[in-house]
Amino acid sequence: MNPAINVMKMHFKEKWSWFFAPWIILLSSFLINLFVGYLTSGDEPIYTGGLCSIFAYMLVLGIVTLTHMFHFAIGLSVRRNDFYLGTSGMFFVVSAGIAVLLLLFAFFETTSGGWGVQLHFFHLPYLNDGSLIEQFLLYFVAMLNMFFLGFMVSSIYQRFGQYGLFVFFGALLVLFSCGTFLCTYYGWWMDVFHWIGQHTAFGLSMWTLPFLVIYIIVSYLFIRRTTV
Amino acid sequence: MSKVVDIHNLTKSYGKDIAVKDVSFSIESNKICGLLGRNGAGKTTIMHMITAQLFPTSGDLKIFDERPYENRDVLNKICFIKESQKYPPNFCVHDVLEVAATLFPNWDQRFAKRLLKDFNLPRKRRIKKLSRGMLSSVGIIIGLASRAPLTIFDEPYLGLDAVARNLFYNHLIEDYADHPRTILLSTHLIDEVSKILEQVMVIDKGELIINEEADSLRGSAYAVAGLATKVDAFIQGKKVINKPHSLGGFTSAVIMDTPKFEDRKQADLLGLNITSVSIQELIVHLTGGNSQGKAVELQ
Repeated sequence: MNPAINVMKMHFKEKWSWFFAPWIILLSSFLINLFVGYLTSGDEPIYTGGLCSIFAYMLVLGIVTLTHMFHFAIGLSVRRNDFYLGTSGMFFVVSAGIAVLLLLFAFFETTSGGWGVQLHFFHLPYLNDGSLIEQFLLYFVAMLNMFFLGFMVSSIYQRFGQYGLFVFFGALLVLFSCGTFLCTYYGWWMDVFHWIGQHTAFGLSMWTLPFLVIYIIVSYLFIRRTTV
Repeated sequence: MSKVVDIHNLTKSYGKDIAVKDVSFSIESNKICGLLGRNGAGKTTIMHMITAQLFPTSGDLKIFDERPYENRDVLNKICFIKESQKYPPNFCVHDVLEVAATLFPNWDQRFAKRLLKDFNLPRKRRIKKLSRGMLSSVGIIIGLASRAPLTIFDEPYLGLDAVARNLFYNHLIEDYADHPRTILLSTHLIDEVSKILEQVMVIDKGELIINEEADSLRGSAYAVAGLATKVDAFIQGKKVINKPHSLGGFTSAVIMDTPKFEDRKQADLLGLNITSVSIQELIVHLTGGNSQGKAVELQ
């Protein structure tokens, strides 16, 4: 069997981190909101950002999976290449799966009138405006961004240690400070917000693709040179 | 015989620190070799480089006639069990073994099951709940059941008692007889393994100081003991590798040589005792003298 597939199988064994924990977190947030909905007997529509939790969780998982699995896999004679391919494959599969599940929940939410209490947890205005394909791609790309961003940050740590992370976040801070300063100095803020505002949620998610490509390439290059 | 490991002038340095210095050696196929030396001598670093987990600073390294870095054909033939191996903390013992089964082409599931029983490992216990000795057993099972053409054990039995270590040696020898492969073993417990080693390499401060057939090493030194004055007379012009210190007028010197007939005769005349020196004692004397002797014996 292809070694990258074997790496994916290895990840699949970590069922708790990949499949149980994120949904327990998301669904407990959902249940709390639902409970609040019943308390208010559905008079007022409730909009909540509880959906963010699963994205935040996957960012963390992207970081953790490298530290937990890389040393194990390399120690068992897996090529760095195969580890990278298998782990990326896992990211793609899980992202797609989550996107489909989230859309299913959104479907139930709209057909049940917000679970009977006008709760908007999975189906939100603006975010879920596009066609079904667009919504799927939006979730899929957003999820991949989270995974690979976490993966890249972790690969910087694996490759260059604490010092590398320090430099990375330092550089990021400088970059953002300069950016915001320039925006303020030249009065670009209105243009920036206008630019964001004129795009659909799906359109914006497509604009993150160049970043995703950067994460994918950088993490690959670092993992290729990481030692145990 | 073909060379499984072929290393030329291998050096690894971290800034100014030189961990491995200009090491060259080769290992032929189907041999059991020992890579011995003190803590921090560079044994683990060499093993990491053989398996491409670390990159050499300079030098040439070929495993099965190829470079190991990102080389699937080569890496597939290697199983490296190290004391510091990390396992996913949420995995159960059988998760780890299942993963290992998919990664090593020669994996023998029945053998793995037998070992699991022999080492008394709970299949369903999570890795993070295992004791140090159990964790070592997991590594040993992977190393043995993988039947990799090049199997490397780096201090494989931390926390294991003498019974479990014996179990390991017995299984190793038994399985090696049925399925010959190249085994590279690094350990402190030189006395325990010296009888199964065919080739002995000793690393001291990053340098290879001995690379010999175990048999020729066994007879390569002897100790002479008796009255200090007589011993002093005896060791004139001989290569003494320890620092003889006298105790109540008596002393003992270790001489790097095979005792010849005249030596024995001379010792007899002086009333001195000639005894053989084990590989462990020899290595202790060669790599650090008496103070280290205690450390090794305590291990």
